[in-house]
Amino acid sequence: MEDTIYLAVAYIGMLTGLAIWTWTVLSRSNNLEARLAAVEASLNNSEE
Amino acid sequence: MGDSGRQIGIVQSLASLMRGWGTLLLMSGFAGAGLTLWLGLLWAPSVSIDAFEAPVAQKIFYWHVPSAWAAMIAFTLLFIGSLAWFFKRREWGWNLHVASAEASLAFGMMAVWSGCIWGAAEWGVPWDWTDVRLNTFALLTLLAIFLVLGRKSQPDGIETRDTFATFGIYGFILVPLTYFATRFWQIRHPGPVIATSEGSLNSDMGMVLAIGAISFTMLVLGHIICGIRLTKMESRLLDIQDTIDKEGI
Repeated sequence: MEDTIYLAVAYIGMLTGLAIWTWTVLSRSNNLEARLAAVEASLNNSEE
Repeated sequence: MGDSGRQIGIVQSLASLMRGWGTLLLMSGFAGAGLTLWLGLLWAPSVSIDAFEAPVAQKIFYWHVPSAWAAMIAFTLLFIGSLAWFFKRREWGWNLHVASAEASLAFGMMAVWSGCIWGAAEWGVPWDWTDVRLNTFALLTLLAIFLVLGRKSQPDGIETRDTFATFGIYGFILVPLTYFATRFWQIRHPGPVIATSEGSLNSDMGMVLAIGAISFTMLVLGHIICGIRLTKMESRLLDIQDTIDKEGI
């Protein structure tokens, strides 16, 4: 039983690590997209 | 609509397609990885208690093997990207190099970490410095650390890209070396159990492992597609900032 708990903790830890990394990539992507859109919008405004 | 307008339209369509596919692969792969762990822990049969010191810990195999497989895919794409940049100066090659280096690092770390957990339970030590497979895979992961941290600490430019692409090309020699290591020099790491006549994998175990391999393949491809998109956006942002600096807008 102790071995199974050890394995389950290892599994959950690894899955959590993977989830955090995946979330970080998606969040970085959304953040960059918003920054890019804002910069492009401000450039268009200054050109007009 | 002029040619440039049409080109921008095509680029935007490709970007949104990449975003959709990348996110879909990431989410499906993540769900599949969770399913693999659940099946591995609760459904897959246990190995014989006579064959292993720690039969329960053997189930970490359902995470370890797919993550090592995904790392190998990432290292192969890193090699292709490095070649495309170094010899053809293709921008997509550099983007692929950057995205694959990050994915190689993440999946390489997962394989090393899960291997250490299993080694500690089965062998009594997390690492064996005399085992060829362990050490060549660790060198590959160290190469990925160097590529990721090195790129972040250097200004972008042709010389920087060439240096890292060279490491991506020469480092690839470790991939076949790692794959064949347990066939030529089996020291401590177990030998192959699939794609070999000596394999003895139970069909249920094989099915869970196959679900894991498919899920981790989707995950690594999803991460690389999202990474390529991120690198493109970073480059675009840098270009705009350069234009603003030069024109003093």
